Amino acid sequence: MLEGAKSIGAGAATIASAGAAIGIGNVFSSLIHSVARNPSLAKQSFGYAILGFALTEAIASFAPMMAFLISSVFRSVSRVTI
Amino acid sequence: MFRRILSFDEPYLQSSSSDNIAFLESLLNDLTISGVQGEAYTEALELAGLVPSPLEQFAILPLIPMNIGNLYFSFTNPSLFMLLTLSLVLLLVHFVTKNGGGNSVPNAWQSSVELIYDFVLNLVNEQMGGLSGNVKQKFFPRISVTFTFLLFRNPQGMIPYSFTVTSHFLITLGLSFSIFIGITIVGFQRNGLHFLSISLPAGVPLPLAPFLVLLELIPHCFRALSSGIRLFANMMAGHSSVKILSGFAWTMLCMNDLLFFIGDPGPLFIVLALTGPELGVAISQAHVSTISICIYLNDATNLHQSGYLFIIEQKRGSERKKVHFST
Repeated sequence: MLEGAKSIGAGAATIASAGAAIGIGNVFSSLIHSVARNPSLAKQSFGYAILGFALTEAIASFAPMMAFLISSVFRSVSRVTI
Repeated sequence: MFRRILSFDEPYLQSSSSDNIAFLESLLNDLTISGVQGEAYTEALELAGLVPSPLEQFAILPLIPMNIGNLYFSFTNPSLFMLLTLSLVLLLVHFVTKNGGGNSVPNAWQSSVELIYDFVLNLVNEQMGGLSGNVKQKFFPRISVTFTFLLFRNPQGMIPYSFTVTSHFLITLGLSFSIFIGITIVGFQRNGLHFLSISLPAGVPLPLAPFLVLLELIPHCFRALSSGIRLFANMMAGHSSVKILSGFAWTMLCMNDLLFFIGDPGPLFIVLALTGPELGVAISQAHVSTISICIYLNDATNLHQSGYLFIIEQKRGSERKKVHFST
């Protein structure tokens, strides 16, 4: 029962990746838009885009972090007794 | 059924598990019936403490145990690896700047150090130059040390069998909290009690002020947590996922099945492909946390008006130039 609930919880934690996917897509679509409008700023805006990507990706890694924590840090009670 | 046997035998297991014939027989039966994936086998592994966890690589082990009563300050593997990073960086910088500053035509090592220095200098000037433009900032050495440490520390965790110091909550949180406290002290030092105006944007109607103060204060205090959590989460999640995927590849290789043996390069390539972004994340996290430190420090020293003041100063500068030209 506990195992099943743990797996469900870990799986549910990864749903959060959807938001991160939207965010990363948004960052790069904005990059393409702005470069298409003003190609002379391509290099500068690429730097900002990478920065934005890193920030978004940082939030994105909270989801697998929670999944790992749920699935491998919490143990069943039987381990505590031994 | 097997769970009941285990719980029944638990006190006996503790003394000598190898003499427990009934336990071993039932384990063997279960293994022959349902293989390695059987519930009893995993349960037994878990009892023996052998269950492979992806978080196993982050275990802190005391290498030289030291304690006074309940106060533990052992020399652990994080301390060892932190010391390793520090000595590597210091040696690199020392050998590069020998004979009072190296060669005027730099070799590869020297130019890499100069690259790092220039990078941080540009970053700091860009983020918190404010009024003074390209003046060297007072806190540049502190920021530079943080950046260099993270830059060398994070990728070192990718070396197999090494230890990722920054994947520990305590360490990153210690870093971010100390920086937060320091920035607050700097803010009070520079601006006196005007520093409190950071929690209230200019031109807000008075009835709204209590809510806005609360709304601005919460994110301000959350900064202390967020930059630590960001670093920790990136390092931990990335390293665990690499570990899990390499576990997949290893399991497929050990399946003794030709189909799996042929298919094994799949997960292996995924691991290889993941290692690249993981290194990129390690380096970009150093960059990102340095930038966020710069932004917080800029907020604390220049309060909210730095942008306007910068524009005013530019206008004044151009006017002064015009005056010069006319006279």
